[in-house]
Amino acid sequence: MKGGEAMSKSIEERNEYLWDGTGEPDPEVARLEEALAQFRHADRLPEFPEALFAKPSVIDRFFRLLWAPRLAATALTVLAATACAILLFVPKSPTGTRPGWDVARIEGTPLVGTKWMGGADPKAKLEVGEALVTNGDSRATIAVADIGEVEVEPGSRVRLVQSSDKRKRIALDRGTIHAAIWAPPGEFVVDTPSAVAVDLGCAYTLHVGPDGSGLLRTTLGWVGFHLNGRDSFIPAGAMCPTRAGTGPGTPYFEDAPEPLREALKTLDFGTASAESRSEALRTVLSQARKKDALTLWHLLSRTQGEERERVCKRFAELVPPPAGVTRDGVLRLDQPMLDLWWNALDLGDISIWRFWEQTPASGAMPAVKQEKDRATLKKAR
Amino acid sequence: MATSLEFEGSLADCATVNAAQAKEREDGKLVQAVKLGDRSAFEALYRRYARMVHGILLSRVPHGAVEDLVQDVFLAALPQLGSLRDVSRFGGWLAAIARNRAMDFHRQSRPSAEYSEEAESASENHAASGSGGAEAMVILDAIRSLPEAYRETLILRLVEGMTGPEIAERTGLTHGSVRVNLHRGMQMLREILTEGNTAARARNAKQRAAE
Repeated sequence: MKGGEAMSKSIEERNEYLWDGTGEPDPEVARLEEALAQFRHADRLPEFPEALFAKPSVIDRFFRLLWAPRLAATALTVLAATACAILLFVPKSPTGTRPGWDVARIEGTPLVGTKWMGGADPKAKLEVGEALVTNGDSRATIAVADIGEVEVEPGSRVRLVQSSDKRKRIALDRGTIHAAIWAPPGEFVVDTPSAVAVDLGCAYTLHVGPDGSGLLRTTLGWVGFHLNGRDSFIPAGAMCPTRAGTGPGTPYFEDAPEPLREALKTLDFGTASAESRSEALRTVLSQARKKDALTLWHLLSRTQGEERERVCKRFAELVPPPAGVTRDGVLRLDQPMLDLWWNALDLGDISIWRFWEQTPASGAMPAVKQEKDRATLKKAR
Repeated sequence: MATSLEFEGSLADCATVNAAQAKEREDGKLVQAVKLGDRSAFEALYRRYARMVHGILLSRVPHGAVEDLVQDVFLAALPQLGSLRDVSRFGGWLAAIARNRAMDFHRQSRPSAEYSEEAESASENHAASGSGGAEAMVILDAIRSLPEAYRETLILRLVEGMTGPEIAERTGLTHGSVRVNLHRGMQMLREILTEGNTAARARNAKQRAAE
């Protein structure tokens, strides 16, 4: 052992309490700490002027996003398509002062609040608390403040829940939307009856069926889908079903083997016997390709005991665990280890989610105005 | 292919490294969010680094001026975030701003004598009034008389209550440097305080003899 190392080792042994506060307290250090505590930082958050946090322009953000090489090509394509759609179909928005988002009719006669959008009046403003309803042959686009666009398919009902600087939130009660968002992760949130979708920098399609079940497909970036502590992360090319009362299921890639997808239904939402469940898990594990590690990572926290051990073993075969990840840690669902392993999948840094989940979206928003809006719709008709 | 889950190193070491790496990544995300105008991210960075900045300043400027300067440091850092190339180095970068701000403070206050020796002393004595205040001032003065590296690290540990690993992670110093600074600084502090006590006892004895 070199001299420096020996000295360092010696220092470590004699000063554990001084080093990290563990071990037998050094009486003198403890006395000094007590005496000096009065000079400690007060831990008060000062009032910083709001003007300091002026947001950069949409163009600035767009070009920043482009610096992420993996997103650049697809982002350009999506944005070019969006720009073309806007130029072709959307007349220039009025410069109104009411809070709300601009809605443009694509076809048919969508209803915004209590106003029907006809051919002579192809634009409207969707205010917070109002609903946009499309019938079987109408479609519309919503400009989500200055951070993106949502296309609303026929047979949909979308409510604007919140529009503030830090959070744009809509509720999709039924139907289908296509969202293209270029805001910072976590700013755009969609409530559905069975899960909450948190945009993490992406484009995606979200469908909600009549029974409240849903399906999310990500085409760019990735999306966090969660409800009551059950989280799913859906990267580009993957999809995730959700069921009322259960929350998001296990995500899988769209080209995943059919038997795997069927078996996931049993694991996520089935009421099968233990034997059938075990068989379903066997199918998933045997069918899983390397890229289906996405699915297995999620299954770690959705299985228990011997099932989790099987998932962990197969996952390690597909994606060797990075340094710092131990079997015991994974089996007890140590979050930093699971996060490290997730990051090894190269699907996006999960710390984005860990940070944003502290502030956003709690549970799905209750459909408070639903009945009232239905009555309004009936009356308008 | 490595399929086994038997990995190297102790769990504690892994956890420490993981935590440090995760925090570094998290800092990066926070900094990026701040660049996009996110106030809550800035507040999160403030909560995470305020103690470090406070400690660095306290090792250099009078206690009464520190709280305001902490805010100044963060306000000065905000518009400069764009110049921070490696966002994972945020802690070390902020520490440098804090040290510079302390130097500016002394440069600016010298001509106007706004914070003269007397004012400093009065301010600090006021701050340290109450039980044990005088003793605390003596200890703080003793720490401030140490070489820069030792006094900064010791104040972060003894005043701000940060652990060695936290100090290393926040300031960007290596664990080894922080350990050495703590150990040697503490050794020097003990000597100073012992000498001070001896001198004080000698003075008291002399006084009693004269009486």
